[in-house]
Amino acid sequence: MDILSLLWDGFAVAALPINLVLIVAGCFAGTLIGALPGLGPVNGVAILIPLTFAFGLDATSSMILLSAVYYGCMYGGRISAILLNIPGDEPAIMTTLDGYPMARKGQAADALAISGVASFIGATLATIGLTLFAPMLAKAAIYFGPADYFALYVMAFATIGGISGSDPRKTLLAALLGLMLGTVGLDPSTGVARYTFGSFNLYDGFDPIVALVGLFALSEILFFLEEKAHGGGLVPPGRVFPRLTRVKEGIGASLRGSVIGFIAGILPGAGASLGAVMSYSFEKRLSDKGTFGDGDPRGVAAPEAGNNAASGGALIPMLTLGVPGSGTTAVMLAMLISLNIQPGPLLFERSPDLVWGLVAALYLANFVLLILNLPLIGLFTRVLGLPAWGLMPLVVAISYLGVYAITHAAFDLLVMVGFGILGFVLRKLDFSLVPVVLGLLLGMDMENNLRRALSISGGDFTILLQSPIANVIYLLTAGFLVLSLWLSRRGSAIPSRLETPGD
Amino acid sequence: MSDRLSGLFFFLLAAGYVWLSAGYTAGFGDPLGPAIFPRVIGIPAVILGLSLLIWPRHDAVWAGRAGLLRQAAAITILLGYALLLEPFGFVPATFSAILGLGLLMGAPPLRGLLMAALAAPGLYLLFDRLMGLPLPLIGSWFG
Repeated sequence: MDILSLLWDGFAVAALPINLVLIVAGCFAGTLIGALPGLGPVNGVAILIPLTFAFGLDATSSMILLSAVYYGCMYGGRISAILLNIPGDEPAIMTTLDGYPMARKGQAADALAISGVASFIGATLATIGLTLFAPMLAKAAIYFGPADYFALYVMAFATIGGISGSDPRKTLLAALLGLMLGTVGLDPSTGVARYTFGSFNLYDGFDPIVALVGLFALSEILFFLEEKAHGGGLVPPGRVFPRLTRVKEGIGASLRGSVIGFIAGILPGAGASLGAVMSYSFEKRLSDKGTFGDGDPRGVAAPEAGNNAASGGALIPMLTLGVPGSGTTAVMLAMLISLNIQPGPLLFERSPDLVWGLVAALYLANFVLLILNLPLIGLFTRVLGLPAWGLMPLVVAISYLGVYAITHAAFDLLVMVGFGILGFVLRKLDFSLVPVVLGLLLGMDMENNLRRALSISGGDFTILLQSPIANVIYLLTAGFLVLSLWLSRRGSAIPSRLETPGD
Repeated sequence: MSDRLSGLFFFLLAAGYVWLSAGYTAGFGDPLGPAIFPRVIGIPAVILGLSLLIWPRHDAVWAGRAGLLRQAAAITILLGYALLLEPFGFVPATFSAILGLGLLMGAPPLRGLLMAALAAPGLYLLFDRLMGLPLPLIGSWFG
């Protein structure tokens, strides 16, 4: 088996001491960030990216760290959902529905164990799916030309906000705003300075890393100041050890939830929140006998398996096509592009170490997370007692020192604050932030591919529609749009809190 | 109302953006030139901004007076932190920022002070000394 030998090489990369340390550290940090209400995977990954640069980690190690954080957040989000009835991050919203009632009945330990095992099943199945499907997609995508890539970017923008935004016009505007911000600076092919207004600081354009730390980390601080008191009564865990019989009740639901979540994760623009919602509602329809919403273990297992599987699935379009399937993968894409690594079909040819090292690291991360989240769960429940005023300012300080360490310029700190304010205002106005980041990120490539395509055709725009691959992509885009409209119609049960920055 | 305002903002921004693109010209060899892509994205933004101005759908709910004041204070602290990091040095600037933000978030004064006094040098030691990120310990005003 070709894949098995590649995977074997991947394990050799993942087992390097530095990578093992990063896996454990990332899983720990991720579970912590996920468990804290207010901070989710996007924020966590955004805060860590400048640090990976500052420490000079290579692309493989950075990706391993960030993916471990991403997976960890999906595990951690459930902890506060079950104990506090506050989802630690968005995808955990569905877990509150049955998790909190279980905790109130004194079955918190059971609920945590069921959801921990469900997370493990979901994430592991998704990683297996990633191992099998990603290379297939990458093989097909190798025949892409410039016009096809342009079509791919159009698909990324058209679908990313599909489900999250309430008003599609705003999603498009947000993407266009990102694209406009992305054109600031020297034009790469002609050297003309665009929209710099004479400031030399702007000649390099806006660094996407600086922008996304502002957009995701600082805007969260401003949001936090909106309502003063957060948190409710922490439910005491009750009995200390979970009962194995209760854990077994969740296995079937976990398997079903994993499959649904994985598919939701692959769809561009759907992401983990949708994965959790779809898994929960499917399980409810299948096996509800009036017990759902009242502390049914299957209602805890299904959404947890769903959101973990979705986060694995979301890595597939990001790695193979360079089109992120969720907010967090969009942020990871920013990091790869800043390291001069273009995700896409060629990634599998050019950097097999990165791809397979990452995949192998994800298998290892799952085992680390299982240990962190079952026997060591007490550590994280204690963290929930910490006050926000102690944690949120630390997030600010770490964002500043990370950005300062990579740019050494006070100007970039100001840019970061500016993006923080922008992010806050946009979210208040119901614009989602992920399209802005995507625009800023992909703008230059989109323009380059458009130029390349047009210089092949000698300036004839019809080349964009001549390639069969591009046409298939446009058709798929239309399909995704219809699907996401249909899903958002049906998904009116999604709590309105989901309209925060993605997952 | 907020939709109309954001529509107006986007309309003006995109219109200005497209208008400015006229000034970007380059010589031969490049069939597209530096001005076309800005138009490709600017013109739809003009139209969408206009549509949002005419057909608004959503109205933002802003925080109450106290919340807005807290947010304004936080922005001041964030800007001050950015401007003073180099002149003050990392430890004093971070101490002030953590203290200020902590108090805004409702920290009891003494415990907030303790937190800032521990965290600022702690972060410096952790990231500069232990992990080797160069951070300015003492700023240009003092050194």
